[in-house]
Amino acid sequence: MAMSALLEVRDLSVRFDVGDAELTAVRGLSLDVAEGECLGVVGESGAGKSQTFLAALGLLAENARATGSVRFQGREILNAPRRELDTLRGRRLAMVFQDPLSGLTSTLRIGRQLEESARRHLGMNARQAREKALDMLKTVRLPHPKRCLDLYPFELSGGMRQRVMIALGMICRPDLLIADEPTTALDVTIKAQILGLLAELRRDANTSIVLITHDLAVAAGLCDRILIMYNGRLVESGTTREVFGAPRHPYTAGLLASLPSLATDPATDLPAIPGQPPDAMATARGCAFAERCKHVMDRCRSERPVLAAHKGRHAAACHLLSP
Amino acid sequence: MTAPLLSVESLCVDYEQRQAAVFGSRVTALRAVNDISFELCEGETLGIVGETGCGKTSLGKAILQLVPPSAGRVVWRGVDLARADSKTLTNLRSELQIVFQDPLSALNPRMPVGEIVAEPLRVHAADMSARERQLAVADMFERVGLRPEMTARYPNEFSSGQCQRISIARAMITRPKLLICDEPVSALDVSVQAQICNLLRELQRETGVAILFISHDLSVLRYMSHRVMVLYLGRLMETAPRDGLFEDPRHPYSRALIDAIPEPNPDTSPLDGSNPLPGEIPSALDPPSGCVFRTRCPIATPECARKRPPGENVSASHIVACHHWRKVRGQ
Repeated sequence: MAMSALLEVRDLSVRFDVGDAELTAVRGLSLDVAEGECLGVVGESGAGKSQTFLAALGLLAENARATGSVRFQGREILNAPRRELDTLRGRRLAMVFQDPLSGLTSTLRIGRQLEESARRHLGMNARQAREKALDMLKTVRLPHPKRCLDLYPFELSGGMRQRVMIALGMICRPDLLIADEPTTALDVTIKAQILGLLAELRRDANTSIVLITHDLAVAAGLCDRILIMYNGRLVESGTTREVFGAPRHPYTAGLLASLPSLATDPATDLPAIPGQPPDAMATARGCAFAERCKHVMDRCRSERPVLAAHKGRHAAACHLLSP
Repeated sequence: MTAPLLSVESLCVDYEQRQAAVFGSRVTALRAVNDISFELCEGETLGIVGETGCGKTSLGKAILQLVPPSAGRVVWRGVDLARADSKTLTNLRSELQIVFQDPLSALNPRMPVGEIVAEPLRVHAADMSARERQLAVADMFERVGLRPEMTARYPNEFSSGQCQRISIARAMITRPKLLICDEPVSALDVSVQAQICNLLRELQRETGVAILFISHDLSVLRYMSHRVMVLYLGRLMETAPRDGLFEDPRHPYSRALIDAIPEPNPDTSPLDGSNPLPGEIPSALDPPSGCVFRTRCPIATPECARKRPPGENVSASHIVACHHWRKVRGQ
């Protein structure tokens, strides 16, 4: 690939102290986000997808520790001092959260929140910032943008709040926008609108996007490349067409099969993956998916498969692929 | 044909909204559910679909009298619940259970989850011994895909997906005759979604529980339901047996919802933002005149603003409320 990596994550681990126990959310993860690409990070709750990027942005909870390396535009940012991160966050690196109500400050008017970012990062005066804020609300096609500047987040619908969150994330035209489940709380027709908006912003501002989602269809609609995470590790990576068209990891294949579609026969049971995602406290010696996998072999329980490409760049971490 | 367990007749739900006025405030009514009627039989699943503000949650709550209906009747096995006294209602509640949309706020954060699931038994099966309750809870935990040794933990120790399983366990433990599921799988991971769908269907096969399945996810809804009702801003748009609705939708809104069904395929995903239904859902405080859908409808005419379309029969079991339904076709 000719594009250079905008974000390089190497051997990232995130651990939480919970009482006298330790919980590992991310386990030695490495990934690249190329300039201009849209990368989908897909996994179930607890797979570590959000924690990976919260760690990169220095937004982990108090009881968490991150080790490894995260380089953004060549610069090491993992565990960087807050002052240094503050010049990047919101400016070159922005994050859009799943729940726009808790991602926005509930006691400040929409306009004020947008202006703050414009004044701080872009050095604008009050009038310019006001104009910029209005401009952004128009860009995200919020109805009645002028009126919305003076509203509080609770006065908007979920879809409108998510538009405001995206406006807030995009106001400084960041190089990388990390969108954590941006459409999860939204209605189907509004979801399509928001994804269209993200695609458009990416085109117009050439912003790279990391889309964190559990929704395979959402990732398929927007992303060029897909990473599948399970229990803090990558289990599969490839282009969207490779991963969804010919999944190589039994977990990915299982997820795709368990989704009902218009072609599903309602008279048959859905092919669900049995069991539940493993506890982040537990550390399996072998493959973390072994207990739920229908192809499990003895080797899977003792030896952890590594992520390896078997054809081109399409890679999976499964012993089935390297007998 | 067997008599329906539940029959809802011209149900309306209003919420009072206080709005600032020049002097003090004035009260306006928001009609969340507007003239909805349907019947539900034993062993049947009725799917209710619609976007935010369509009244699907209010409809579920009004059936259980968790919000008082402002007009219409809710007849449960011959008893009009809206006019039943509180004792009758309390007794009936073991038959009528609900799984709420937001799993975290539906669980008491200060109660171990085993107690949460056992609580309906304390109320409705007071003669059960503590040991029997414990066994029932452990069994229920396994059935919803949780490990029985988790009963002593608190809700904050679970993911939202696991919390939803806990609320499903709580609702199912009294073996209800009607289960209202309000977006029961939308908060769950895909692999867990399939398990819960299978579980709900399995329980229905075993016990004949009738299910009112409220969802915005049409693929899940199609899989789960025998009949489907499409709502928009509190009004009925279309209702039909599953295949009738999905193969021959006659309302432009149903058509748009079916077209927007997400698929995990980069070649056919409608979520590439190419052709979404435009606009926001109007405020229920100030719904459009005539047909409430007309502001987003691709085939609206001036007639739609003047006159509200009545429900018309496409066939005996397929009803559509659109002036132009004859122009709308399936794929």
